[in-house]
Amino acid sequence: MTDLATATQSGSQPVAPAPAKIAVRNLQFHYRDFHAVRNVHMDIPERQVTAIIGPSGCGKSTLLRVFNRIYAIYPHLRAEGEVRLDGENILDPGYSLNRLRSKVGMVFQKPVPFPMTIFENIAYGIRHHESLSRADMDVRVEQALRAAALWDEVKDKLKHSALGLSGGQQQRLCIARGIALRPQVLLLDEPTSALDPIATGRIEQLIEELKRDYTIVIVTHNMQQAARVSDRTAFMYMGELIEFGDTEKIFTKPDKKQTEDYITGRFG
Amino acid sequence: MSVASVTLDSNRGRDRTDARNDALFRWALRFCALLVLAALLGAALSTLWGGREVLFGDGWRFLTSAQWNPVENRYGAWAPIYGTLVTSLIAIVIAVPLSFGIALFLTEIAPAWLRAPIGTGIELLAAIPSIIYGMWGLFVFVPFMAAHVDPLLDASLGRLPWIGTLFQGPPLGLGLLTAGIVLAVMIVPFISSVMREVFQTVPVRLKESAYALGSTTWEVAWDIVLPYTRQAVIGGIFLGLGRALGETMAVTFVLGNAYGLTASLLMPGTSISSSIANEFNEAAGLHRSALIALGFLLFVVTFIVLLIARWMLRSLQRKAGKA
Repeated sequence: MTDLATATQSGSQPVAPAPAKIAVRNLQFHYRDFHAVRNVHMDIPERQVTAIIGPSGCGKSTLLRVFNRIYAIYPHLRAEGEVRLDGENILDPGYSLNRLRSKVGMVFQKPVPFPMTIFENIAYGIRHHESLSRADMDVRVEQALRAAALWDEVKDKLKHSALGLSGGQQQRLCIARGIALRPQVLLLDEPTSALDPIATGRIEQLIEELKRDYTIVIVTHNMQQAARVSDRTAFMYMGELIEFGDTEKIFTKPDKKQTEDYITGRFG
Repeated sequence: MSVASVTLDSNRGRDRTDARNDALFRWALRFCALLVLAALLGAALSTLWGGREVLFGDGWRFLTSAQWNPVENRYGAWAPIYGTLVTSLIAIVIAVPLSFGIALFLTEIAPAWLRAPIGTGIELLAAIPSIIYGMWGLFVFVPFMAAHVDPLLDASLGRLPWIGTLFQGPPLGLGLLTAGIVLAVMIVPFISSVMREVFQTVPVRLKESAYALGSTTWEVAWDIVLPYTRQAVIGGIFLGLGRALGETMAVTFVLGNAYGLTASLLMPGTSISSSIANEFNEAAGLHRSALIALGFLLFVVTFIVLLIARWMLRSLQRKAGKA
């Protein structure tokens, strides 16, 4: 635990201490000349939900996108410092992207099913990392869809196009697609911002269930959502991590004035 | 009361003119659309009429015979049909992967400063008149094929069993393969610019999702970008194929214009449009009728190709689960 983390962990109801799944040390992120993330240190605990909040442009999505190095598909982006996943630095050029992405799954803002059948949407990622028999693949697809609470709704139309599903169903399909690879970490980038309240409720319920098996990091612009689903909350502002601690403490008596101002809606 | 009735009256007048203008507009649009059908039907019927002597006079012989003999006035269309299909097929086989590569490079890989010059280059390639391609083909490309490519193919692929027959023959330079390659160069701009346009419409998040699952650039292109743009890509390919089937001047220059069925791609052949271009001047009577009938057959061939495109699209959609 860093000093910052221990300092803020003395909240009213401390969450059971969990080992750090992802340890971020002195992380800097540059987009050409723009310094988008500055000096971030944080320990993301295993099998808990960590929320990252902050006003638009504060670098919260950028930080999330470092954890699976998805930024690396674009030129002119670079991350410096260390992000250790189970002790290994994933920013090390020698760290295999393929391995990283099988360990760290990601779900994006808008549901983006692939232009294939529902079954193929799930099987696509699995096939990339493992070669399974037809029967094993059927089992894996079913498991993933059950874990994403989608199985009952789609079990009779696995051969239909995924584009025919509703927005909420599509987003659960994307979550199923992510967990089908059996990752250890699940990154959620504003996963409900394009969904209606009922679909949002189902996704939040799902997050609650998934944290038993996965370390979840969720970026959200919705503070109520962060308060509802997360165990730990990080507040970012202008590329810096201002405060990181137990969600309850962050939302009731934060240490920093900036955090309090944001939580209470005085800016952002 | 009187004020109300006045406005009501003027409204009624307005309604009437609106309805009339709308009806006029609808008729104008209908006319524009019907003009296309009328032109198509007119062209098809007049070639059918012009070619009636050989089309109906000899029964199926015109379609099945490969003999084309103006001296004895015996005509069979099989050699030009064969030449048209083979050269277009060669062109598509070469141009589609090439265009796919160009479009992918431009949308996914090329740095921003390189995109505009290559994009403009492709558009300029499309603007070159086909007669220039023909001249270039005859004076530059044919000697090159004769000196380097033909002997090489004959000595390598030509020795293989089965496919060997495709690549055997004297190094003439002229021939089906040469025409196919020139056609490929001509249709690459069409296919690649359609592909580039539609590849740009693929949502960034869709591609990122695939990368996030561990896909490589190739897999994202093949499994995500291509299926997402399937419909337009097939449309672009068939646009190019349509152009290849009907292309006249460039093919006439480099095809060799020989009526003969040969398995070898290195041998000269003929195509529907180049036969017409070559012989129309001196044709009379039955000969002229045979050439017009060839024109009608080009309609038929193109129509069948379009049907195949429709069918391909539908079966692809079924495979993707679009019920």
